[in-house]
This record gives sequence, structure tokens and C-alpha cells, in this order.
Amino acid sequence: MKRLNYAPWLFLAPFLLLFSLFTVWPLIHSMFLSMQQTYGPGRTEWVGLHNFKFLLTDPLFWKATSNTVKFAAGSLFIQLPVALGLALLLNRPGLRGRAYFRLIFFAPSLVGMPFVAMLFAPIFARHTGLLNKTLNYFVSSWPIDFAWTQNYVMSALIIAALWMSAGFNMVYFLAALQNVSRDLIEAAEIDGAGAWHKFWHITLPEIMPIAGFVTLLSVIASFQLFELSYIMLNDSAGPDNRGLTIVMYLYQTGFEAGDLGYASSIGWVLAIMLISIALIQRRILKRHEDR
Amino acid sequence: MIKALRENIDRFLSPGALVILTIAIVTSFIVASLPARVVDGIPFWLAATAHRKAYVSMVAEWNEQKPDKKIGMTQLHSRALERRMLSGFLSGTPVADIIEANLGVVAKVFLGPINEIGFVDLTDRIHNEGIYEQINTPSFAPYTSRGRIFGLPHDVHPVLLAYRSDIVEAAGIDVSTIETWDDYFRVMRPLFRDRDGDGQPDHYLMTADDTRGDVAIMLILQAGGSIFDDNDKPNFASERNAHVLAELTTWIAGPNATCTDVPANTAAGHRQRLEGFVIGTLVPDWMAGSWKIENPGLSGKLKFMPVPAWEKGGRRTSVAGGTMIGIPKASKNFETSWEFVKYLYLNPALAKHMFENTSIISPVKTTWTESFYDEPDPFFSGQPIGRMYIEQAPDVPHRPSSPYTSAGGQKIASSLIALAQYARTNEIYDVEALEIEALQILQEEQATLERLISRNRFITEGG
Repeated sequence: MKRLNYAPWLFLAPFLLLFSLFTVWPLIHSMFLSMQQTYGPGRTEWVGLHNFKFLLTDPLFWKATSNTVKFAAGSLFIQLPVALGLALLLNRPGLRGRAYFRLIFFAPSLVGMPFVAMLFAPIFARHTGLLNKTLNYFVSSWPIDFAWTQNYVMSALIIAALWMSAGFNMVYFLAALQNVSRDLIEAAEIDGAGAWHKFWHITLPEIMPIAGFVTLLSVIASFQLFELSYIMLNDSAGPDNRGLTIVMYLYQTGFEAGDLGYASSIGWVLAIMLISIALIQRRILKRHEDR
Repeated sequence: MIKALRENIDRFLSPGALVILTIAIVTSFIVASLPARVVDGIPFWLAATAHRKAYVSMVAEWNEQKPDKKIGMTQLHSRALERRMLSGFLSGTPVADIIEANLGVVAKVFLGPINEIGFVDLTDRIHNEGIYEQINTPSFAPYTSRGRIFGLPHDVHPVLLAYRSDIVEAAGIDVSTIETWDDYFRVMRPLFRDRDGDGQPDHYLMTADDTRGDVAIMLILQAGGSIFDDNDKPNFASERNAHVLAELTTWIAGPNATCTDVPANTAAGHRQRLEGFVIGTLVPDWMAGSWKIENPGLSGKLKFMPVPAWEKGGRRTSVAGGTMIGIPKASKNFETSWEFVKYLYLNPALAKHMFENTSIISPVKTTWTESFYDEPDPFFSGQPIGRMYIEQAPDVPHRPSSPYTSAGGQKIASSLIALAQYARTNEIYDVEALEIEALQILQEEQATLERLISRNRFITEGG
């Protein structure tokens, strides 16, 4: 007769218990919540898929999505190339003070988002902000009253996030660059390959798995943008909701308006977006690896 | 045995981990052994520092007179107060017996069904005890939902126009002829020049900008426009509001633009005001008080005038901000709380203390004849600003009490941004032409808000 072995289940039990309590149960509960209209947790009404239907035609949700996608695009197409560029520079063996530069570029990522937001709010100020003053000093036609946090909110957020996150992503790229095979580089040099060819045909394919990972992390972090814009815009979404992000809209709906049901449906749509992005990214990487 | 223990510890924990673990255990014990702060008396939460300072002596006096009905006043950060209050109302976590909150926070309480609003409905008591007649009527509006009153108002918050009298008088400008906004910009226009040759005007004439929705709302209310009707339905897509937005757009965009934004409460904004970057600003009474504290350098450089009217004989004030005091339904000491609320808010001593410390005038009309309101204020060049605010107080516009007030305000702000953008893109700066576009934008924004409100079954289905 086969005896049931309890030992593995006993060892797994703490994890399973906590995972069920703090992950599985909230997920199931939020799924039900997303099909209710609520006024706080105490008052609920079943509305079926109405929240999702409303969401699809809610201009504020689409504004939040558009803003978030713009920010994610900024992170992807500005932040990552900058991070890679810094990593390539700091990976040069002959560079003096390399360790110091690494520390300097990495240091901003040690501070929290709220700090970055508070630091950059006065930098972007009209008339008196450091950025406008500096730009006006070098380019006299630059308007001193350029309204960064009023009219160009997402650009301002991308710049602030660039300062904070470029150094962090640089570390990943640096680690990847240090694993690029010297043999291949030297072989290419013997064959007369220039810097660009070495980068394009050897370095980039070699660091592609890490680059894919960093891309995914950046996109997910961008879609979760909240504190930076919320604090920089003085606890609001800014003029005309120009700084409204999906998570901020979720927060406003759930915790300021008390509609946890609609907030849950926003959360589920966000989750579906992120899962889709991760799947697409995985497929692209797999195709690349297969080649 | 100790040796074995040490060996085991060495085996599983590095020295660093051991230090962290030790610190964690020791600090946990310290935190656990700290005594919890017990508030002596009936809990009363508030957020505003200036209010707390004004209440300290009065609460002490109350506690001395009524030791069996002591009040325990606690100041919370406004965010914490909002969170704890809403959590208490929505999910039954403990809340104070008395809560003072600003109108933005209170509006969130009105989102649900009327019988589930967390504050006690005070309407009947306010009427039966003659309090309604004692207090400036428009001050009740933001704390009234579906015809029921849920709090006593703390203030009136009328608005005056503060201007840099030193600059204006040095330029030989006589402001006594200003009655309307047209007069204001015509009379002040000579100041809008670039004398120092930096490519910027030395002085802008007013604090206003397409991103300053608060200014737009003050001007709309002043002009007799509205955002919601008496049944809390949005009605801001009106010709009156379109006119105000169109006029305001010509102040902030185009060849005749003479206004710019100066932030209200930032160091940079105070510096700009000190440098005379803007001449005029719409100032509610509470802002006058905060300027005295935050920007003492302005002392003697400012004067007030009633807000220029939209047309001759029109309203010379507006309204902005507000606070109320209410009693949560969960209160176990309702009668004592109600007694205290009346003692505090209807007290002439509070009116004096509040005005002297914050420049805020009381909504209690019987206090308006008090002589302290006639004292010259050196900060505002010796003007009796209390009297000036009181003269405008009965005329403050009626404000909406809809739980969607904040969303309505955002729609007005968005409309102004869209209109200014339209004006700049098409280079149209004619008021009549802009009015047509403004009305269309307002109609679109109103439709969006109506759709949002229609979603709320707790309000629309007889809530």
C-alpha cells in the first residue's frame, strides 16, 4: 500500500498559505469587485460587465492610457538608449575614474520617486525654474515661462524619470557588456570590423537577453507610474489631466471616489495590458534566440 | 550547550545578518513597549494648523468648565484625516466624534446614497435652534447635499483683489475709477511695459493663466455663472460661462494678453510677488492670512480693492475654499459633540482669534459688527481688511454642493485650456468669436460629466 508523503506539503504550507491569503484571494475578490459598483466596501451593487463597458468609452481612462503609453515610449526610446550609451562608455577599460562615474550615474536610483518628484517640481517651474533659466541662458529665444508641468507634463516626467532610472538600467547593461566574449570582438577586429559593426553584429546580439529583460522591466515600471506624477503635480493629474496615468486613475477612482468596483476593473485591464506586453516581448525574444 | 548554540548560529547566520536580527528584535521590543497615545476626552480631528492654534485656548476653557465632557483635539495631516474619515464612513473603522474638514474632502462623502452619508444630518437642529439665521446663508451650500445640511460652516471666504499699491501709486495710477474688469486693464495698462529690456514685461497685470482653473471658477461664480444647478445637475454649458471663458482667454493669450501664472503657495511664487512680477491677484481672506505668514516682505506694499465687476453695478466679489465641522454618525457622544460644535463655531471669541491670526472672517453674522474687523492692517497698507471682506460677504456667490464639484471644476479648467489652445492655433482673439467655441467646448465637457454622474446608481436611483 502506497503511503501518502506529507513532508513536501508541510514544507510548502507556509508559502501556500501566505500566497493564497495575500495573492490568490485578493485576485479572486478583485475579479468579483470589478463586476460591482461600490460606495466603499460596505455598499455594493452587482453590475455585471457594465464597468468594463463603461471603461471602454471612458475618455479619462483613454487619456490615462495615452499618457502612460507616451511615458512608456519615452522610457523605452530615450531612457534605455541613454542607459546603454552610458554603459558602453563606462565599459571602456581605459577610462579613468570609471568606478566613480558608475557611482555618480547609479546614485540617483538610490533615492525614491517622491524625492525625485519634489526635486524636479521647482526645477521645472516657469520663470524661476533651473531648467528654463539654463535653457534661456544658452538659447536666448527659449521662453523663460515655458510651462513644463502645465503644458508638457509627460515630457517633464520623462526627463525626471530619465535622471532617476538611466543609471539603474545602466548597471544591467554593464553586467551584460562584461559578459560579451572578448574572443569574438578580437576576431572581428582582426577581420577589420569597425566600432559600429562590432556593436551591431557582436555586442548587441550578445546583450539581447538582458536588453529584453530591461525593456520588459522598464515597460512594466512605466505602466505603474504614479508617485512621480502625483507628487510633482501637487496631488493632482495636472491641468486638463495631462499627467493622469492608469494607476493614478485607479487610485482616484478607488480611494478618492470610493468606487472600488470600477477601480478593480481598471486594475484588471491594466493587468491584461501588462501580460500581453510580456507575452509579445517573450515571443520576440524567443524568435531572436531561435535564429 | 552554549557552544553548540554558537556553532549553530555561526552556521546559519553571517555576522551581518546576526547584527540585523539583533537590531530588529531589540527595536521591536522597544516599539512594542512604548505606551500608546491615549487622547483624553471626546476625539476631535482637524487638519489646519491655523485653526488648531485658534482653538487651543477655547478647548482648554471648555475642558476646564466641563471636566466630565472633555474634548481631545488632535491635528492630523489633511491626507491622513481624509483617509481615516473616509475609511470610517465607508467601512466602519473608528473615527472621531467631531471632524473638521475642508469642502473638497466633504464632497467625497456625498458620493453615496443620502442615508449612508457618514455625517449626521443637522438640518432640523440648525433650523430649529435658529442657527440658520445666525450664519451667512451661502456658507452652508458646500455642506448641503440633496437639500440636507451635514455641517456648520467655519468661514465665508469672500474674495478681494490685492494689488501692488507701491508700484501702482509710484506710477501715478488712480485706482478709484476702477469698477469693471475693462476699467482695471485699461487703467493698469501703463505698467505692462518692458522697461529693463529683458524681453519680458516688467509687470504682468493679473495672476491668471489657462492652467489656473481656480481663477476661472472664481470669475465664473463672480459673473453669476454656475457649475451645478440646485438639483446638483451640471449646468455649466451656459452662455454666461462661455462669455467669461472667452474674455479670460483674451487676458491670457494673444496680442493683448497681460496676465500670467504665479503659483499660489510656493517659494518661487512668493518671490515673484515680492518682485512685483504681477500687480493684481484674486485673494480670498484665508490667502491674505497665509501671505502675512509666508511672505512678510510684502508688508506695506499691498492694498485691496473689491474685485472689478463684469459690468457696471455687478458683483464685486467671489468665493474660494471652505471648511466645515460635522459629527459622524458613529459618534457615541452626539449631544456633547453638538454642544461643543456650537460653543466653538458660534463663539465671538473664536471670530476675533481667527481673524487676528488668519484674516478669516466668521460666517456668524452677529460678529460682523465687532470693532476688531475695523482695525487698520499694516500689512495691507493700513486698510481695515476685515471690514472690506465683511462688506462683500453677503454677496458671495452661491456654490454647488454636488459630490462631483471637483470633477465639475476640472471640466471648467479643461475647457479653458482647450479654448486658449483653439485661440492660439487659429489666432482668434475676438471675444464674440471665442464665445461660440467656448460654448461648444463646455457642452462637450458637460456631456462627459453627465455621463459619469449617470453611472452612479447610488445617486441617480433615488439615493
